[in-house]
Amino acid sequence: MNRVFLLPLVVLFLFTAGVLSALFFRLSPGEIIAALGSDETRFALRLSLMTSIAATFLALILGVPTGYVLARTDFPGKAILDTFLDLPLVITPLIAGIGLLFLFGQNMLGARLGEWGIHILFTPWGAVLAQTFVASPIVMRSSRAAFERVGPRYEWAAATLGLRPSQIFFRISLPLARQGIMAGTILGWTRAMGEFGATLMVAGAIRFKTETLPIAVYLNISSGDLGTALSCAWVLMATGFAMLLALRWIGQTPRSETLPSR
Amino acid sequence: MDWTDAPVRNLAFPVDAMSEITLQDLRNPIIKGISMDIRDRELLVLVGPSGAGKTTLLNMVAGLIPHDGRILVDGERVDGLPPSQRHIGYLFQDLLLFPHMSVKKNLLTALQRLSITRSERNERISSMLELCHLTSLGDRLPGALSGGEKQRAALARALVASPKVLLLDEPFSSLDFRTARYLRLELKRIHSQLGTTMLAVTHNLEEAQDLGDRMGVMTGGRLEQIGDVQEIMLQGKSAEGGFLEKANVLPCAYQESLGNGLIYVQWAGGPLFVPEDGGKPFNRVAIHPRHVYISPYPPPGPQVNRFQGRIREIRHAGGMAHVELMVGDQRVHAQMTTEQAQALSLASESPIYGILKLRDLHGC
Repeated sequence: MNRVFLLPLVVLFLFTAGVLSALFFRLSPGEIIAALGSDETRFALRLSLMTSIAATFLALILGVPTGYVLARTDFPGKAILDTFLDLPLVITPLIAGIGLLFLFGQNMLGARLGEWGIHILFTPWGAVLAQTFVASPIVMRSSRAAFERVGPRYEWAAATLGLRPSQIFFRISLPLARQGIMAGTILGWTRAMGEFGATLMVAGAIRFKTETLPIAVYLNISSGDLGTALSCAWVLMATGFAMLLALRWIGQTPRSETLPSR
Repeated sequence: MDWTDAPVRNLAFPVDAMSEITLQDLRNPIIKGISMDIRDRELLVLVGPSGAGKTTLLNMVAGLIPHDGRILVDGERVDGLPPSQRHIGYLFQDLLLFPHMSVKKNLLTALQRLSITRSERNERISSMLELCHLTSLGDRLPGALSGGEKQRAALARALVASPKVLLLDEPFSSLDFRTARYLRLELKRIHSQLGTTMLAVTHNLEEAQDLGDRMGVMTGGRLEQIGDVQEIMLQGKSAEGGFLEKANVLPCAYQESLGNGLIYVQWAGGPLFVPEDGGKPFNRVAIHPRHVYISPYPPPGPQVNRFQGRIREIRHAGGMAHVELMVGDQRVHAQMTTEQAQALSLASESPIYGILKLRDLHGC
């Protein structure tokens, strides 16, 4: 291979390594460790975990059945609907956040929800809402691809054996598609953990209230508290890295099954 | 056996429903119209080339694809029911054993719809595993089974809930010759033990001959003929491009039974030995053109059922060579692949030696 191709590789590697070491070596390890133990970092981590897990859960409830329907049915206008459902993937989160802010604001859904005692804007629920919005299409796409890979034939076999549609879904389709769904879940969760733009709009940046890890980084960089900002950044990156590893591991899990040839 | 009083299971796609059959591709309806009866406890084999609509027919009977027409099982209409309520078992060509479940769990899945106790379930599973010689493999995942074992596991799963009819789609096409042959015998054994009514489809004539109580021929989405296996094999219509090659029917003079399972007859001025089959004297023997072996040189080996003749004509169609021979005043057809014919460098009007394979001669 031409050696010229190695140059971009080296540049990319140095780029990533440079960014990571800049973040790492800015402060001494002692300062970072001290900041990791601070109340604010711990609050942000806990809130991030709770909101992102809730959002991922919601994304699964919405995304997996939608993916199943799209994988198994054909109807006029499916391509248009399909493209439409992918829009959250390409909308800038900040803009999506403004949309959510208007939709759940007092002029639209907010007033009615408020009557029922449900307050979403500028509460942790706003963060959950924003994260669900960005994570759902990811889970939906992966699930759909996984169901398409498995194909409908195992479901046919199950139907001739007398299983009802719900039994077929939970005992056959879902277990056979689990690998793709898990990969989608991890990607969606990572996206939810790192969600910033939409969260900022919908939940605001309120210390010790809607302060997820990315919001905490933003708040502390703004106020000059580098220690807390960087320690939150490190926690965020560590979870991202762990999830990358988990994805690799899922991808390499040997599959005892062989999918049908047609 | 007398079938006349046996209850008839009736599967019918009326011919006049042709335009109403709704498949995915409406411009190309695969099933043109099929009407047939399946007798209780029989194994009916439909044979036909690929593209004849065999699998489509089974999928319709199972209720997996939309269809028009009537399907009766034990006299009850099932065509309005979803597949899960038809009580029709299906052995798919690609088996579709659930890869994430052990063999036992696969069988257990099929028993969910029956309201029976846990011990009855276990009892059924273990006796079915035993019937299919799978007892030691019950805890394995399908991925850890050989091709033949998978086949038996899928058969066990399809049968464990005692379906009223079992459909089999090319049941042994993916297996090597020996395994396939062994499993055909196994299927015959299981069929006779359980007495489940079975409808199988295959493109393999030999398989159809081995398996079937009766046989139907399907081409182009239609059922061309249906009847006794020997009857179809020997008197099959030989339409141009038809699936079945017409058998040679050779007039002969019955001489005597040799008492060792062989009959001695006189044909084309020479002796011929024919397997004893039923014991009635006959004055014709039939043999399929596939079982007439020819060569430009005298073949080695024992000089039994040999003949010498002359090639009249060689026709090539669809990768097969059809050779017409004259043996004395007798016309004999032989069939082989085009490659085989080329390797033998056969030519019209040249002398030819041949063998009529003993096992495939039938008195009639």
